[in-house]
Amino acid sequence: MSFYPYLARRSAQALLVLWAAFTASFVLLQLLPGDALLIKFLSPELGLGPQEVADIRAAYGADQPAWQQYWHSLTGFVSGNFGYSLQAGVPVSQGLATSLPPTLRLAGLGFALALVLALVLALLAQLAPWRWLRGALYALPSVFVSVPVFWLGIVLIQLVSFRLGWIPVINPGKWQGLALPTLTLAIPIAAPLAQILLRNVDEVLTQPFVAVTRAKGAPRLWVLLRHVAGNAALPMLTMAGVLFGELLGGAVVTEAVFGLNGLGSLTQQAVGNQDSAVLQAVVVISATAFVLINLVVDLLYPLFDPRLRNRLGV
Amino acid sequence: MKANKFKKLTVWTAAWLALGGLLSACSKTESVADAKADNGPASGGALVYLEQQAHTNLYPPAGGFYPNGGVLNQITDKLTYQDPKTLEIQPWIAKSWTINDTATEFTFELRPSVTFSDGTPLDAAAVAKNFDTYGRGNKALKLPVSEVINNYERSEVLGPLTVKFYFSKPSPGFLQGTSVIGSGLVALQTLERPFDELGDATKIIGSGPFVVASETLGKELLLSARKDYNWGPAQLAHQGRAWLDEVRFIVTPEDSVRIGALLSGQAGVIRQVQAYDEKRVEEQKFVIYAPSTRGVNNSIVFRPDNALVADLKVRQALLHATNTQEVVQTLFSHNYPQATSVIAASAQGYVNLAGKLAYDPQKAQQLLDSAGWTPGPDGIRQKDGRALVLAAYDSLPQPQNKETLQLVAQQWGKVGVKLQVLSGDAGVRVVDNLDPEKTPVAPGMVGRADPDVIKSNYYPTNRNVLLQQGGVSQKVKGFVDPQLNGLLEAIAAQTDTQKRLALTAEVQNYLIDQAYVIPIFEEPQAFAAAPWVREVGFEAVGRPSFYSTWLAKR
Repeated sequence: MSFYPYLARRSAQALLVLWAAFTASFVLLQLLPGDALLIKFLSPELGLGPQEVADIRAAYGADQPAWQQYWHSLTGFVSGNFGYSLQAGVPVSQGLATSLPPTLRLAGLGFALALVLALVLALLAQLAPWRWLRGALYALPSVFVSVPVFWLGIVLIQLVSFRLGWIPVINPGKWQGLALPTLTLAIPIAAPLAQILLRNVDEVLTQPFVAVTRAKGAPRLWVLLRHVAGNAALPMLTMAGVLFGELLGGAVVTEAVFGLNGLGSLTQQAVGNQDSAVLQAVVVISATAFVLINLVVDLLYPLFDPRLRNRLGV
Repeated sequence: MKANKFKKLTVWTAAWLALGGLLSACSKTESVADAKADNGPASGGALVYLEQQAHTNLYPPAGGFYPNGGVLNQITDKLTYQDPKTLEIQPWIAKSWTINDTATEFTFELRPSVTFSDGTPLDAAAVAKNFDTYGRGNKALKLPVSEVINNYERSEVLGPLTVKFYFSKPSPGFLQGTSVIGSGLVALQTLERPFDELGDATKIIGSGPFVVASETLGKELLLSARKDYNWGPAQLAHQGRAWLDEVRFIVTPEDSVRIGALLSGQAGVIRQVQAYDEKRVEEQKFVIYAPSTRGVNNSIVFRPDNALVADLKVRQALLHATNTQEVVQTLFSHNYPQATSVIAASAQGYVNLAGKLAYDPQKAQQLLDSAGWTPGPDGIRQKDGRALVLAAYDSLPQPQNKETLQLVAQQWGKVGVKLQVLSGDAGVRVVDNLDPEKTPVAPGMVGRADPDVIKSNYYPTNRNVLLQQGGVSQKVKGFVDPQLNGLLEAIAAQTDTQKRLALTAEVQNYLIDQAYVIPIFEEPQAFAAAPWVREVGFEAVGRPSFYSTWLAKR
């Protein structure tokens, strides 16, 4: 099997997944009681009469049959028109344009930091000179896993910003403001990565080739980096693809705590108000990201595993 | 081995916690800025204002939502100004006005040379277009009708600065209606935009003391002072441009982060302070502002279309089973006065009905007994095989509403009535709240400093909290109270002020006699401010105004 048909097949699969995600979310939103129009215009704040509400529903085409609305929004999506957010009163594309970059920055940095944390932890746990320190480092991922993101964020803010005054939470610089949220997000993500890495390093270390290399007098660090790391990283890569979902979920909480205006807070508000145009866009974007990341992970695999490389002819 | 690991873990955790304690102890020495002697208002500076929620659509009639009102009150002016203390209507953009005897024709003379921030004149034509839109809506642009304008017919431009409005029926509340947030005046280009685009604050062009300089959607709004602003309400001590150069609105949803940011000096004013945080704020010499919303009190209402609460005796029993004093003392502070009528004591036409609202569990038990509801084996009263189990959704914008309902549920439990407090997403909430079978009980409140506010809350084609027939709900089988609706219509149409206030008193009595409503407390909007932020103003229903605000030395 050669590379290009593989890529084409994967791309076709990706499009199918996106269409399915769009359709499924549309159907589910239709099934829910209420809709964004109802929530917006029946809210007592506007105090509208029955006739006025009926007029507005007609103006938005909410009285059309479901398949027409489906076709309308699907063709809109394909042509890049995501419609209007009823609750926020702006085009969905405008909301995405402001929400996507902060989330990408946060998720990207959070993930990178999580990887670094996991690697450093695994390395330290192997190299630590004292048994008690090694024990503590092995226990750390379990502590990280059980720390609630919400609580961690609040503690970091109280301590670093309010008590010590090192980083303002209100009006920070663009990158300065990302320091605490990134840390908040990275710690719970780093935990499972570190656990997997630690377990795999231990496993690889028991392999005969390691014993051989060490018998030849190779230093511990060199063995770890040269022979063990690559082998132990493979399962972590798979895990990383899956963790992306957790990254988005964690971003919702982190963004709420730190008052960041990312995709997470946009989604949270859209869910609360059943703002279907926004939700559809979020579902499609998240699905796209998932598909892309898993594609990248699949394409990276051969780089780590020579056996796959030969089979795919890369 | 395992135990050993765990022991190490605890040691480690303890060390970490100790470090945290040490750090916080170190910073305790930082002192709170003490109030220095002032030499009067100082010009300049930027105020950081923390909002709990992002604003939504800023079409002015949607200004009832607290975050929206907070924005609109800085960037738009109103035709008239309502004194927040006396509630008297005074000139603002309108210099003077005349009203005919039947309150069907209103003529306003406008102040000359007022402009919107896009440079267009705020003249009779602009005012006419504003009220034509608010009074009738605009179907093509999907702009809805304003809740505060009743019986609107049309406008007529009589001169460059003279505009006249015609009403199909008397509309005595209209004059006050021209002073509210929902009647903020905007430029013609704003009124030409579809509803779908008015969530973008930069599209809202007003004539107010501040202008939207930039917006990060859902996060931040930067207002800058209009240098040429010279048309503040004549009654105010401060005239000319705002003292502040800038106001920065930052959305900070988390309660503890808002309070912490304020107390650590990162923000000047914050909105939505929970009652349990007030003490902490005041201990550090910061200021709590809790302006009343002066309308219908924070209440619990019944939906008599549901057979369980159709019986007056049941409703009366629950009215007397509710201990509002306990609610206020347990959950709130002195800024949340216990309700003594349907509307706030500071509202127009208020009468004290505390005597009819007494907490009396014995009477409640007797009423339920005589209505035929007898205690079942599980303590919940039963009748004809049905248990007296009611349900209500909590209301998110109202302070500690879930806790309030849960406490009331405990109180009702003592007389054998079960109240389920429900939560759900906005869709379920809206749909179920329109169905008296699903939600026989509901929380409700609305702020507006005019007797029309009662009509807004109870009339079928307005908010319709009692769920009468004739409203938006399709689920109501037959409940309608013509006597109540007659009174509400009369308030909206009575041109004689004394008679109008008498009708307002009558409807308060009627609502309590029918036990449709259990008023709980007079709802304020709670803010906190740093001591160096001076002259934070509030309009008549508690929306903040930063026009006269200035920053003292810290």
